[in-house]
Amino acid sequence: MAATRVFDVIVVGTGAGGGTAMKILCEAGLSVCAINSGPRTEPARDYKLHRQVYDLKYRGYGNPMRLEGKAHQEPYSVEESEYSENSDIFEHDVAYSNAPGTDWYWKRCKGTGGKANFWGRSSARFGDIDFKAAGLDGFGENWPVEYAEIAPWSTKAERYMGVASTVQNRPSNPDGEYLTPMPWRCIEYIIQKGAEKIGVPYLPDRCAQLTVAHDGHPACHYCGNCSRGCDVGSFFSPTWFTIPQAEATKNLTLLTNALVRSVLVDEDGKARGVAYIDRTTKREVELYSKVVVLAASCVETAHIMLNSKSRHWPTGIANSSGQLGRNLSEHLYGCPGYGYLPQLRGQPARPDNIADSTVAWMPRWQNLKNPHEEKFIRGYSVYMGGGCGEFPGHYSQLEGFGSEFKRNIKRYYPTPVGALIQAPTLPSSENYVDIDPRKKDIFGIPQLRFHFQWGTNELLMWEHSKQVMIDLFKAMDAELWGMDDEPNRPGTSLHETGVCRFGNDPKKYVTNKWAQTHDVPNLYICDASIFPSSTDKTTTMPIVAFTMRTCDHLLENFKKGTHSRV
Amino acid sequence: MGGQGIERREILRYIGIASIAGTFPGFNKWEFACPGGHAQDAATLAARGSSPYKLIFFSIEQFRMIEHLAEMIIPRDETPGATDAGVAEFIDFMLANRVPVNAKREIRSTEDAIANGNEAQGRFLAGLNWMNAHSKAEFGKEFMDCAVDQQKSLLEELAYKSKFKPATESGRQFFQLMRDYTVVGYYTTRIGLESLGYPGLRSVWPSMPGCPHLNDPEHLHLQEPKASFDIVSDWRA
Repeated sequence: MAATRVFDVIVVGTGAGGGTAMKILCEAGLSVCAINSGPRTEPARDYKLHRQVYDLKYRGYGNPMRLEGKAHQEPYSVEESEYSENSDIFEHDVAYSNAPGTDWYWKRCKGTGGKANFWGRSSARFGDIDFKAAGLDGFGENWPVEYAEIAPWSTKAERYMGVASTVQNRPSNPDGEYLTPMPWRCIEYIIQKGAEKIGVPYLPDRCAQLTVAHDGHPACHYCGNCSRGCDVGSFFSPTWFTIPQAEATKNLTLLTNALVRSVLVDEDGKARGVAYIDRTTKREVELYSKVVVLAASCVETAHIMLNSKSRHWPTGIANSSGQLGRNLSEHLYGCPGYGYLPQLRGQPARPDNIADSTVAWMPRWQNLKNPHEEKFIRGYSVYMGGGCGEFPGHYSQLEGFGSEFKRNIKRYYPTPVGALIQAPTLPSSENYVDIDPRKKDIFGIPQLRFHFQWGTNELLMWEHSKQVMIDLFKAMDAELWGMDDEPNRPGTSLHETGVCRFGNDPKKYVTNKWAQTHDVPNLYICDASIFPSSTDKTTTMPIVAFTMRTCDHLLENFKKGTHSRV
Repeated sequence: MGGQGIERREILRYIGIASIAGTFPGFNKWEFACPGGHAQDAATLAARGSSPYKLIFFSIEQFRMIEHLAEMIIPRDETPGATDAGVAEFIDFMLANRVPVNAKREIRSTEDAIANGNEAQGRFLAGLNWMNAHSKAEFGKEFMDCAVDQQKSLLEELAYKSKFKPATESGRQFFQLMRDYTVVGYYTTRIGLESLGYPGLRSVWPSMPGCPHLNDPEHLHLQEPKASFDIVSDWRA
């Protein structure tokens, strides 16, 4: 690459949003430089998924000393274990800060494809119940879009990714276009019967997992290791979908191990390119383009923008509203109940975990008839899992030792079930990210600092879900073994939203309804940071859908001459 | 489905890559516990230069006691037991390397892992001492010198709520710790997983089989098999 080369578009990040953006822009004929923070993700090297746990030296736990000396020593999640050892796709060099009282767990995959290499694949559409929630319950603000406008983009994203589910006619969940749903396991039938008795829906999840071959991608082979990354691309991930397609156009330059520090501006304060640190040489490099798309994953996008200070933008680029970094939202995660189904005791082991997924879920059922039915506003959804898994963790519930204990471990093997709540936090002025005034990371970049607390509304949902589980287990004639005392730490879900909210009023929002920053017309955002609020649904499929829409607008602006090509 | 053949080959190619198991010296017990791609008999191991497992944490006396306790917790019966699965070697290795098999504290850093590992080492050594002191008090002999019935009754007092005795909390805590390590050590070997019928031992499925009891959706009329322990699962055929 010539040092002076200028690109039509620089895309920062190659995950769900960035990968989709670069594919669309490359296919439209633009010259695109995609910048990725870490190395290229190589499935054959980085995913050891078909290995059994006994093939690993530390039985999957990994060497506890493996992150010694690193700036950030906490593992990414279950995805980072001995299965990913010797792989360098998770971020441990760049530290972040938590304000006093905040305990944010920031999990970063710096390899190409990012977090979307390992995601949970649940792909429900956002609907007007989400976009117009503020209008319904009076809290916060509506999104600048309506479902009718977004529906075609959701369809496009679903067709591209391949989502298995059924048409369900739920008021909370617009239906889409689906592949054959995943067959139900024994536990699903039992849970559904119980849920029916207490008035809770239990239906096939919207699962971006290829139950049939789709658009050149093979059908799932059900090895059950999706969360370690798919080795053949049988669920949507940038590594198997968008990145190879963008590369096939020959319009893509992909830079790896390039940590973007800031967006560069010209004399008018417009984006001129980016400055990045080459992780190998530790040198700062400047790269120029006509348009910059930030898709660095929600809070990192805000981090880059807050660090992009100039004469024009003294508090960070495109921050005339002062809203950059504000309204950090998240999903509260936690287990409100786990126990066992006595109906299945002693049954032969069944391949319950080969889809590595919740096959079905409880889509939001609260506050549907009336937005104030419950003590909390809006609503949450619940994923259920269970059956025969990789390790008989239920042993801890069984007393004793010897042959009887061993027999009981097997006898109860098909029976355990557990729940996971996915509850949206309400946007709050107390929850935000800013730049740590004192600390810099090892590359000299001022660190991102989190300020975040659970709010009353989401904690009321958490309490509500525990009671639902007590009722559900009773309705299933099942026994509840326990529940988490506290929800998981903030950040666990990986579903952070907010911090660059989109909206029509430039005084209140960072970007317009097309995810183009109000202040800097050639700076776009293609990740979940634009979503003004969290919903009960996950973010990946909507990120892809909104990115498709934003890129359409961006291309339109090239056609109209708002942006000129190189 | 069109194209399925090619895709399946592609999948099998990857499995071929993945099943080159990580081997490391001195783990003939683990290797024995993991047949399939591993050398199984002494002659093959010797030919490959593998030596018997060398203790890195316990003394030989402590190791024998750990091995004995593990076998009491998961004995060989219709299926192999803890000794067959190399559970005591596993405990020695995991403790020495401070692997958080049973983390009592949240591990956010290497420092946390070391602290947790040190704590686990201390708890194991103190636990073995407690067992010996307790068996001396009860039967006048160290644990390993007691008769099988005596050993069993000592463990029962620690394992079953109905048999708990006062002032044995530390013994009960050690028993739970020992049981945790034993269960993890056993059910992360191939023979342990086979004893459960763990379906994930097979890496490729043509489809998700789903529930086989569609005529009994509430699963209220399933018969629980009685005496026979080794249940042949219908999906394995």
